[in-house]
Amino acid sequence: MLALGKSTTPAHRKYVIRTMAFMIPYALVNTGAIFGAFDEIMGKPAAWVLALVISAPVVGQIWATLSLIRDSDEFVRALTAKQFIIASGLSMAVASMWGFGESYAGAYHLPAWLIYPLFWFFWGVSAPFIRTSK
Amino acid sequence: MKNRLKLLRVERGWTQEQLGQALGVSRQAVNALETEKHDPSLDLAYRVAVLFARPVEDIFENPHA
Repeated sequence: MLALGKSTTPAHRKYVIRTMAFMIPYALVNTGAIFGAFDEIMGKPAAWVLALVISAPVVGQIWATLSLIRDSDEFVRALTAKQFIIASGLSMAVASMWGFGESYAGAYHLPAWLIYPLFWFFWGVSAPFIRTSK
Repeated sequence: MKNRLKLLRVERGWTQEQLGQALGVSRQAVNALETEKHDPSLDLAYRVAVLFARPVEDIFENPHA
């Protein structure tokens, strides 16, 4: 997801900066929530604000990735788009499989937000296999 | 797509980075073209042709010919 080397393009440098700008607040707010910084509002309507605040960087990161696709040359665009589609597809497949498992097989309930780290997991593991634009 | 891009680039003593800058693409894109991991768009193929002052088919083999 992040690599800022000598041969990176302006589009890639922007992507790295935007990723850090979105992921650092995401991690900080999440860490705060995990350690009880927002315990007083949990379960109350105000907690929806917290949910929206944590989700906003996710939307931002998706925008940053789509901007990378838009601003890159045709080869990097094709590779990144393939990676995005594969990671999205695998994440949806696993989330659907687990959701049906919860509905029909009594599987342990997992929070829906896990689809986001799952997306980046598949993004990372698929990267070594996506080497051509074909 | 088979091509003579690497040969033409090396003849001029250019690095992939330098060729990428001349074409307005990344070094990765040049490498992908040279190793046949990317078929260029018509626009990029024409840019390459103009840069080397050769017809497109002198550089990229027409797979349908």
